[in-house]
Amino acid sequence: MKLSFSIALRFLRSNVLQTIIIILGIGIGVSVQIFIGSLIQGLQNSLVNSTIGNSSQITITASADNELLEDYTTLMQKAIDGGDSIINISPVLDNPAFLESGGASQSVVVRGFDRQKAEGIYKFSEYITEGAFPMNNGEVMLGTAIKDKYGLKIDDTISLITADKRTVVCRVSGFFDFKVAALNGSWCVTTIASAQEIFSIGDKVSAIEMQVASSEIFNADIIAENLRERLDNQGLRITDWKGQNEQLLSGLQGQSISSLMIQVFVMISVVLGIASVLAITVMQKSRQIGILKAMGIKSRQASLIFLSEGLMLGVFGALAGIAIGIGLSASFTAFALNPDGTPVIALYINSSFIMVSGLIAVLACLIAAMIPARRSSKLDPIDIIRNN
Amino acid sequence: MNNILELKNINKIYGSTIKTQVLNNINLSFESGSFNSIIGQSGSGKSTLLNIMGTLDKPSSGEVIINGINIARMTKNRLSEIRNKSIGFVFQFHYLLPEFTALENVLLPYRIENGAVTKEMREKAVEYMRLVGLEKVINNNSTKMSGGQQQRTAIARALINNPQIILADEPTGNLDSNSTETIYNLLRDINERYGTTFIIITHDRHIAEKADRIIEITDGKINLDIKKQ
Ligand SMILES: Nc1ncnc2c1ncn2[C@@H]1O[C@H](COP(=O)(O)OP(=O)(O)OP(=O)(O)O)[C@@H](O)[C@H]1O
Ligand SMILES: [Mg+2]
Repeated sequence: MKLSFSIALRFLRSNVLQTIIIILGIGIGVSVQIFIGSLIQGLQNSLVNSTIGNSSQITITASADNELLEDYTTLMQKAIDGGDSIINISPVLDNPAFLESGGASQSVVVRGFDRQKAEGIYKFSEYITEGAFPMNNGEVMLGTAIKDKYGLKIDDTISLITADKRTVVCRVSGFFDFKVAALNGSWCVTTIASAQEIFSIGDKVSAIEMQVASSEIFNADIIAENLRERLDNQGLRITDWKGQNEQLLSGLQGQSISSLMIQVFVMISVVLGIASVLAITVMQKSRQIGILKAMGIKSRQASLIFLSEGLMLGVFGALAGIAIGIGLSASFTAFALNPDGTPVIALYINSSFIMVSGLIAVLACLIAAMIPARRSSKLDPIDIIRNN
Repeated sequence: MNNILELKNINKIYGSTIKTQVLNNINLSFESGSFNSIIGQSGSGKSTLLNIMGTLDKPSSGEVIINGINIARMTKNRLSEIRNKSIGFVFQFHYLLPEFTALENVLLPYRIENGAVTKEMREKAVEYMRLVGLEKVINNNSTKMSGGQQQRTAIARALINNPQIILADEPTGNLDSNSTETIYNLLRDINERYGTTFIIITHDRHIAEKADRIIEITDGKINLDIKKQ
């Protein structure tokens, strides 16, 4: 074993240029794999993130339309107690209303949040452009679209007209920009207590919103199912983002499959390349193998020489590929920019994906080395000794 | 004395359509510890015979018996072990591995058996290199040596595992008469000290006559077999 390994090392070192070219060949294959894989994963992450990053991934509502949740604190406690990967949980009271300012009006959705709990999901602190989150009853926060439309400033007042035609005057405490036009133009954010007061509702909410750990995002349906079993309440409806975004999901799946296909074909071409180069090395070294066999090296040891070569080439090729692949991804994020200077696709380094790609490359090289290893084990020393 | 190596009715025929009989009913036995020489014209079948004795080549018919065991009954791995431990080869075209230094080449048969080289073994290899007059070039790459130096390195390599039998095919073919003399004295010395059996092909009658026994091959047959008293 040791001898085979050191002979393999000598063989590789005796033709440094050829060795470097093979390693580069493997490296480029692996780097393409890592680059494409990381790119697609980064793309999918940003897609998923922009779709569900700042929204509820699992939502509990009453099963009947327009019903509200009464004992929502106990319900929230029960939901978290499951030990699932629910990381954020926040109650919300949503009601439609008309917003009126300076004679003009539009429909909005008044969302009453518990500021601290909602922060986990909506990250208000990051998106508030001016002022602050409402503190007292009768304070609201509006999106930048509404601000611009009505020329509003902090401390201005607006009127909210409820469905039952009551008018409530509110003070503007702040503005937010969620970077999503639909939200900026339709949300009117306030506290739960304030919303309950505006719409004359007791201590009830319309929904409990939840987010799961990012690694569990694609298991949201399973977590929702667990929740359904645990809460076991006919009066509740539990929905998850996957059920509501089937098109996005099938798009992502299609992308993953095509990325996988590319990676598989890149690997196949690497394996074929390595196999043919190693097949040539076994020819180049047949004299040496013949002498070694005449001196008593066993067939198993002879084939181990080429397996060791495959292993070494694979390991160094994979390392080179990882370095080039990360470099490619990094330079892509540095040079492929949106007009505003942000990268088209954010750099995404998934170390376990990179590690698996490297391991697959090593494995592929070992498989490619089997052909020359077999040849070397079959080589009859007399054919070498007889012919000068 | 017991026979370390016996050949019984050995025939070797090359080719299937156009058949050339290279060895014709050879019967030979070699006593343990004897010093033998084989002579004969070029193309007479000497190397073929030696390769058959060394288990590298297979006879078309006949038996090769080493230490009383017919090699036809041995597995490939067992034959490899015999070639490694019991037989030392010096091939006609020397055959060093160009990727290794002279000393590493000498140590290869030892490493095949044992893996790592001990300090004592290294010293022993250096000593053999000194005995064949190459102490100055032990660390030379084997491609950076003259033909005669490579040949002497191959002799040191054949000796390193203290084999019972040394099979040498024109081991001094590239050497001047002085060096040839030194090498033969060394081989004789090893023969006497360790009781190693030597079977040496040579075209040098002067050298052949120094052996205990001269076998002459002519057209694949034993033409002459003289043992000295
Ligand atoms: N593979 C082969 N196929 C056919 N004939 C062969 C083959 N190898 C050797 N021969 C023939 O066998 C005969 C004996 O060859 P061998 O190498 O044993 O001769 P030799 O006595 O060692 O000669 P030399 O002194 O030149 O080394 C030669 O006539 C050669 O042409
Ligand atoms: Mg010959």
